Amino acid sequence: MPRFILSYIRAIDAMNRFIGRFAMYLIFALIGVLLWSSFSKAFFTPSHWTLETAQFVMVAYYVLGGPYSIQLGSNVRMDLFYGGWSVRQRAWFDAFTVLFLLFYLGMLLYGAISSTAYSLGYFGTEPFAFFWDLMITFVTEGASGAAEKMGFMERSPTAWRPYLWPVKTILCIGVFLMLLQSLAEFFRDIGRIREEAL
Amino acid sequence: MSYEMIAILMFSSMMLMLLTGQRVFGAIGFVGAFAGLMLWGTGGADMPFSAAMKLMKWYPLLTLPMFIFMGYVLSESKIADDLYKMFHVWMGPVRGGLAIGTIGLMVLISAMNGLSVAGMAIGATIALPELLKRGYDKIMVTGVIQAGSSLGILVPPSVVLVLYAMIARQPVGQLWLAGVIPGLMMATMFIIYIYVRCRIQPELGPVLPPEERDVPLAEKLRLLRAGLLPLVIFAVMMVPFVKGYTSLVESSAIGAMAAFVAAVIKGRMTREVFETSVRSTLAISCMFMWIILAALGFGAIFDGLGAVKAIDHLFTEQLGFGPWTILILMQLSFILMGTFLDDTAMLVIVAPLYVPLVGSMGFDLVWYGVLYTITCQIAYMTPPFGYNLFLMRAMAPPEISIRDIYRSIIPFVLVMTFALAMVIIFPQIALWLPNYVYGK
Repeated sequence: MPRFILSYIRAIDAMNRFIGRFAMYLIFALIGVLLWSSFSKAFFTPSHWTLETAQFVMVAYYVLGGPYSIQLGSNVRMDLFYGGWSVRQRAWFDAFTVLFLLFYLGMLLYGAISSTAYSLGYFGTEPFAFFWDLMITFVTEGASGAAEKMGFMERSPTAWRPYLWPVKTILCIGVFLMLLQSLAEFFRDIGRIREEAL
Repeated sequence: MSYEMIAILMFSSMMLMLLTGQRVFGAIGFVGAFAGLMLWGTGGADMPFSAAMKLMKWYPLLTLPMFIFMGYVLSESKIADDLYKMFHVWMGPVRGGLAIGTIGLMVLISAMNGLSVAGMAIGATIALPELLKRGYDKIMVTGVIQAGSSLGILVPPSVVLVLYAMIARQPVGQLWLAGVIPGLMMATMFIIYIYVRCRIQPELGPVLPPEERDVPLAEKLRLLRAGLLPLVIFAVMMVPFVKGYTSLVESSAIGAMAAFVAAVIKGRMTREVFETSVRSTLAISCMFMWIILAALGFGAIFDGLGAVKAIDHLFTEQLGFGPWTILILMQLSFILMGTFLDDTAMLVIVAPLYVPLVGSMGFDLVWYGVLYTITCQIAYMTPPFGYNLFLMRAMAPPEISIRDIYRSIIPFVLVMTFALAMVIIFPQIALWLPNYVYGK
């Protein structure tokens, strides 16, 4: 295995582990928000922000924790045949099937990016060009120039009316981290096939 | 290509993908995303992601991490030890009493968490060694723990019913209430079976030796207090919900907090327990969420094809089956699939196909939710590839072989099938309580 691949695996593992361990504790944030929700309902006027805040925290929880859950090996597989294979046989299959996973995550990421562009007020069909343009403007003309590039910001159609771009950005980041982790898994499988210690 | 053909192609390629043993969410997601791209081009490219938004807006899903967390706190912190001791002392003097007590233990644990894994872990690690030491028949004991822990997904709070509710678009509250009486009925049937069996063959479940039975009454009453804890947790969680003070999701957070506080007060929340329960909650929640995310994308594309109509047409018009034949065929296919599929995977793959069909034949979907859950319970336990069987193998002490496990479940599967038939014939068993509470 080339050196840079080894350091890639190590770096991604460390980063996703760190992020995942952060996401892990979001469960308490979730409990807190929901408890406040029932508390405020019982004693004052019900809060109108709790429901959606809880949903946003939930999204961050599973999407940022996703790569760490891959590291922990918690994703179920159908082990009808898989259960009986040797480590190398499994690695052979995994090295191919992880490509399907990468395809799916790629599609998910594409959808996430175009949806984030939409939430920033871009209704066209080329979200990448939009973000590129936005970045160039931000560098050359500063924040106010970039703000003019953005159109009507998407909001959730509820009483609280939160902006939707933060949660969509989290989704983009999370899916991207998932991609990086799956790629690391791919390299790991190659390593197992070649019976190299990683 | 006709739409029926595309639907069948999608379904069979997904099955094939699953057989390679890859991560389930990757297989489902890929088939969905690929079909979407092929069918609708760039319009279809956004569909996998729209599922993420749909997932976010589906409010009851927030209960999922809560109940998982609750289950882990309860099983990791060994709060259940005291519960077991209570049943041990109180039921010991009866023939087969410890086995009956174990069923009672499982019902209480089921009322505190929504998956069968916690019950299985508690049963296999706490109850099983004790029962073997007391000379109970190992085959019967193994069956008791498997059957008892499977109640976890039927007795509220039940994670399986939450997921079913999402797919069938039915209220979770009603589904949960519908699970109560069938769950208790099934537990009672297990108890009757154990009692009768031990009457006929006393060597299967001997009474406790006199020196162990001789517990002072004060001590007995003190142990009874352990039984209060699950009742308190259950009441704190369910009463505000049934009374309508809190929503389901808020109640689940209260329950999670209550379990956590109970573990802290009892001094069982060590660093290690904390770490394991928080980490496992993340791992299991992520597993569920990613599968649901992928399945929602798959389902959206499948729905877009009108696949359900096509299959409905195939069964009712072309093959000329009546609704009851179709219903029974469905349950049989569930059992078949459940022998080699994980519960969530089975639910998200098959339910989008079956549930609309059941609805269009005029059956009550709340009632069907209970049928579905009982069938799942049976499916996990049936060899050769029952999901619970493997868990049991992993957790049970080494003297219990896989053959013992296979043999142990036979009588319990029969009892469960009988319970299933009862619920099919008398829908009121499931529907009376929700109708009563919601005043239908």
